[in-house]
Amino acid sequence: MSDPLIRLTGITKVLKGQQEPRTILDGVDLSVDAGESVAIVGRSGSGKSTLLSVIGLFDRADTGTYELDGVDISRVPERRAAKLRSSHFGFVFQRFFLLKHLTAAQNVAMALVNGQGWLPRRERRARVMEALDLVGIAHLAKNRPARMSGGEQQRVAIARALVRRPRVLLADEPTGALDTETGALVIDALLAATTRGCGLILVTHDRDHAARMGRILDLDAGVLTERVPA
Amino acid sequence: MRRFSGRFRSSLIIGLQGIRARKLRTLLSMVSLFLGVSAVVVVEAGASIAERALIADLELTDGIDGTRILDMPPNDKAADIIVSTVKGRTDAVGALSVSGIVGEPGVRPVNEGGSPIDQNWGGGAMICSSDGRCVEDTSRPKGEAIEVRLTALTGDIRVFRPFTQVSGRWLDFATMPSMAPHLVLNREAAKGFERHHVPAEMRVAGATANLTPQFVGVVDDGDVRPSAYVRLDELANWLPASGLGNPNGGAEVRVMLAPSSPVEQVLTTKLRGAGVETYVSTIESRKHRQKELTLMRLIFFSMAGLVLLIGVAGILNVGLATVGERIEEFALRRAVGTPRMLLAGIVLAETLLTGLLTAAAAIGVCIAGLKVVTMVVGDSQPLLHNVQFPWEAGVAGIIAGLVAGILGGFVPALRAAGIPIATVMRA
Ligand SMILES: Nc1ncnc2c1ncn2[C@@H]1O[C@H](COP(=O)(O)OP(=O)(O)OP(=O)(O)O)[C@@H](O)[C@H]1O
Ligand SMILES: [Mg+2]
Repeated sequence: MSDPLIRLTGITKVLKGQQEPRTILDGVDLSVDAGESVAIVGRSGSGKSTLLSVIGLFDRADTGTYELDGVDISRVPERRAAKLRSSHFGFVFQRFFLLKHLTAAQNVAMALVNGQGWLPRRERRARVMEALDLVGIAHLAKNRPARMSGGEQQRVAIARALVRRPRVLLADEPTGALDTETGALVIDALLAATTRGCGLILVTHDRDHAARMGRILDLDAGVLTERVPA
Repeated sequence: MRRFSGRFRSSLIIGLQGIRARKLRTLLSMVSLFLGVSAVVVVEAGASIAERALIADLELTDGIDGTRILDMPPNDKAADIIVSTVKGRTDAVGALSVSGIVGEPGVRPVNEGGSPIDQNWGGGAMICSSDGRCVEDTSRPKGEAIEVRLTALTGDIRVFRPFTQVSGRWLDFATMPSMAPHLVLNREAAKGFERHHVPAEMRVAGATANLTPQFVGVVDDGDVRPSAYVRLDELANWLPASGLGNPNGGAEVRVMLAPSSPVEQVLTTKLRGAGVETYVSTIESRKHRQKELTLMRLIFFSMAGLVLLIGVAGILNVGLATVGERIEEFALRRAVGTPRMLLAGIVLAETLLTGLLTAAAAIGVCIAGLKVVTMVVGDSQPLLHNVQFPWEAGVAGIIAGLVAGILGGFVPALRAAGIPIATVMRA
């Protein structure tokens, strides 16, 4: 059997603040295959965002191993981590984090203009338009965020996450700031990526959205458990 | 190579986007730095101009750097030897000075002793009693006469002392010597003759008769005392060599030589043969003034440095504020894979670019300012006449801009590189 796309084994994250150390992630095991979609649900403060930071290489686990395509990347140096973030991961957050001085197309292009793997201008433009088209807002390419609705802005953010053709999409409550209908459109866009072989990990409070994923995992006080389908 | 160019182009795009998004901020940080860089440019320009003026002054009075000077005590044989050896040469000029009084006969000059016209430095004729006490000789009345230092030249001395012509013309050594000697005055002598209308009759100790000089021009020779220049052969018609070399007439005998003139050897040998002692020296104004000049520069530069420091603080302040404002942008860029070093480089490049732009603006303004100043007051202020913007000042300005950019951008760059992604993106 081939290796899963990502595999976490015994991941722990301990926060050493002013008070006594607090365990945020407590021996998390998780594996996700290519094209698979996974929902992570749990109470506020249970560690969902922390887990996504570890998976997305924003942050490192204290113990445990993290394999990407069968390669242990738990202790890679920052330079390598930056490269992997660029080549393997796409991120979508509850807040859209668009740069307001750039147009939609420029916001998407910023994932290509990142000092990793240079693409010529023509190819860059083609990729950007392709990504905007995937989320259905190619006609807004020249607009700045201030002139777009929340749902449109979030879809620009998804296009930005997709433009590098990542292996894994990490979405942290991407519908949190959107109404139900718009939220459903955003989930559609994310799920569409899995049909092209991309893994999707979605953190959400919305039962309906969670139900549309292939698997649902519960995170409770740093402990991750698979919800057995009823 | 490809990877490098990718980084480079990415940072260029990101940097330009950043500057374009914050034009006002960039402008603000430029304003404070502008003053600092201008201060450096002005100080450097001022120092160079002052240095040049100082050296130019010394060149006028003493001679250009490298000139060999042959001094000797007045001696009538010396005068003859010098004239016969250096006559007609351009690499060696003999200058024999005596004091001369131009004006009414039988009176004491208004500036007895050859002082500047409005000052009395003393040195008039004295009558000394046997017990050693001296009093001013007041037997003759003071009148319309001016005492000048009269220098007789064997050739064009301007090769060694670059006099500037104020009016009229300089001595012409090519024509037949005139019986009425042509005289070129310096500014102070000209001032005296302008103020005191003296008859053009000149008395020189030892002359066979009083001469009737023709004034042909005025030069700036850097001397504050009145002086006049004359062709030696024209003066010699009236004043024999014994008069020029007369030690009692306050005479001075000097030969100025080009650095490697063959005349030096010949002349010293001949003079030694005649029993005349010579003293040889070389003009090294720049070297002698070096300490003063360095000190002057140091003082001015520490002042300019202080102003520049304020400019750096300005850039630093704006830079830090900008990084604070852009935390989200930097975290986001790191999240999509931009390496820390590149982000730091972009921030540094932005301040560096700001610094260089500012330096260019400051230099441009200073060049224009100097042009205006020289145009407006250049004619009345000989020091500012024809000054060029010193390239050293431009270099100093560029360096100041670079240093300010690096100093002001360094801390913000470190901050930008250290922004944690997880904390920012969770918010
Ligand atoms: N930098 C930090 N300093 C202190 N505490 C932190 C920090 N980061 C996370 N925590 C704590 O870790 C715990 C998990 O945080 P996390 O953001 O992962 O929760 P979450 O499950 O995403 O919650 P939410 O659903 O509200 O987004 C929280 O109790 C939080 O207070
Ligand atoms: Mg969260």
